[in-house]
Amino acid sequence: MESDQYGMHISRKFNDELETLRNDVLRMGGLVEQHLERAIEAIIAGDSEMGLSVASEDYKINELEVSIDEECSRILATRSPAAADLRLIVAVIKTITDLERIGDEAQRIGNLAAQLATDIRPHDHYSELKILAEHVQSMLHDSLDVFSRLDTKDALVIVEEDKLVDEEYDQITRQCISLMMEDTRTIRRFMDMSWVARSLERIGDHAQNIAEYVIYMVHGRDIRHVRLEEIKKEIGAT
Amino acid sequence: MSRVWTLLLLKHGAVIVAGVAVGALYGYPIHGLLLALACLVVWHLFNLHRLERWLQEPKRVMPPGGDGVWARVFARMQFLTDRARLARRRFRSLVKELRASTKAFPDGGIILNDRCEIINFNKAARTLLGLKKKADRGKRIDNLIRNPSFVEYLESDQRKRRESVEIHAPGTGDKWLSCRLIPYGPDQSLLLIRDITQTVRMEAMRRDFVANASHELRSPLTVIAGYLGALAEDENAPATWAQPITEMQEQADRMSRLVRDLLELSRLECGVSSAMDQAVDIAAMLASAKKEILAENESTKRIDIEVTSDARVLGEESEIQSVVSNLVSNAVRYTPADGSIVIRWDVDDAGGHLSVADTGIGIAEDDIPRVTERFFRADPGRARQQGGTGLGLAIVKYALKRHDASLEIRSKLGEGSSFICHFSPRRLAASSQKIE
Repeated sequence: MESDQYGMHISRKFNDELETLRNDVLRMGGLVEQHLERAIEAIIAGDSEMGLSVASEDYKINELEVSIDEECSRILATRSPAAADLRLIVAVIKTITDLERIGDEAQRIGNLAAQLATDIRPHDHYSELKILAEHVQSMLHDSLDVFSRLDTKDALVIVEEDKLVDEEYDQITRQCISLMMEDTRTIRRFMDMSWVARSLERIGDHAQNIAEYVIYMVHGRDIRHVRLEEIKKEIGAT
Repeated sequence: MSRVWTLLLLKHGAVIVAGVAVGALYGYPIHGLLLALACLVVWHLFNLHRLERWLQEPKRVMPPGGDGVWARVFARMQFLTDRARLARRRFRSLVKELRASTKAFPDGGIILNDRCEIINFNKAARTLLGLKKKADRGKRIDNLIRNPSFVEYLESDQRKRRESVEIHAPGTGDKWLSCRLIPYGPDQSLLLIRDITQTVRMEAMRRDFVANASHELRSPLTVIAGYLGALAEDENAPATWAQPITEMQEQADRMSRLVRDLLELSRLECGVSSAMDQAVDIAAMLASAKKEILAENESTKRIDIEVTSDARVLGEESEIQSVVSNLVSNAVRYTPADGSIVIRWDVDDAGGHLSVADTGIGIAEDDIPRVTERFFRADPGRARQQGGTGLGLAIVKYALKRHDASLEIRSKLGEGSSFICHFSPRRLAASSQKIE
């Protein structure tokens, strides 16, 4: 599938509008990626200032969401798009919601980073969190790449990858629980840590959603809550 | 007419004459003529057929020999196709060489059109940015590299664009990339991407070292200064110690100023451009700087302030403050008692200009590019007595860099110097404008 499928309208202006819409979503995605990256860096480096600055800049993402949402409604109202165009608009509306939620999670991680920075840092500098965070970051990055390339094969890879993230999250939770039982004075710190892991796991879910919307956008098939094997068979056939 | 054509016409004439003669022999000259013409047509058709077949499959069918004018046509044709084949082969090997050389190029290169769509890229670009060989041609580069500072760099006006932008490599990994956009031709541009991870890491190490070392020096200094203060006030101390103690106090003072400047410098050096959330009132700042200087020095130096604009600079107030105070205190330090200092703030289309001009000792032309280096001394003996730390202008440089501003230095030895800070228009706000 080429992005050129949106370049075949008689109205040139409509083409431009759809193209701009896609660009805006990806621009918002870039901002979200940056926020997540900084929030994670704040956790790992124990930089409370950076954590708070991420938390305070969440409004930029929200503003973008609102403006893209408005643009979508405008296109729906004035162009009454059909087929692939309609799917694009629907996918965009859903994608920005997920992106905004990722922004919220990044904001939460930023706040937690500021809190954790005041506490004693563990010897391993949150290495498990770092691994999980890197995984989630690459998932988000790949899902946005998939959105820009409309590459459904890679989208399926992301959908599968989410299982790994869930496993890593379970591991961190178990580890936190056992450490809390060992020393009750650390409960607060490990609670915060498990909250961060929870947020990261949620971000993984949102990234998975975005990948699913891309499959919907390209194939017109809603693959949520459908077994992966079936989808693979179906998409492989088309 | 060339010989071949004469020969050809003669041959045709001979065949026709022979045909008519043979026909006349049997009493049918017209039939003889027709037969001769048919023979000629067959001969031509046969040659045309051979030519056509050879042209269809030049590799498999041997080039026709032929004779007369057809031989010439065939030979010429052969020559042309051979030449074309040679040129094509040469061109192909040239392209191959070029491809190989761009492949070997360690820096990533991406060719973009005027809509920022990818036309082509080399292997290094593929590995550095994670591009896909076929799928990404025609895609917009800012859809794939979504880093906000990169997108801003890409969209900025060509004339006001910074030279390059440093970004984290897309995806995870701790790679740092330096991207530079070079326009060429009517509507294309080349995006150069360099891996600067090593440089960034070294720079960070150096910065950390300076910051840590200065930080570690601070606590012992505080202790020393504290005891020296106590000793200076101790009435039981022998009088002979008074002079050394004052001197030690002065040196400790200087050292703590040095440490403070080093710490500030290492903070400024991190290079990120500062936030634009504060509107700094330059006019008010200049007035208070003048007041401060006059309170400290009871000299006869004249300080004039000329403010023609009430525009404000968007940025960090404390950093602009340190720019102003460093420039003004430098001017005071290097201007003789009967000299004068003019501080000017004006705004035009090119942006805001803050200039501090003095009639002091000036800077030699060779030294001008170097005065913003750390600890650079034009005259090592003199400057230290004047009480500077040697870091003032370095602080000014980095603080301005964080505000997208540049420092211009005009100076003549013995006549005075002027330091001009150029702020870009997008960093300015009218005084009445509200800042969100």
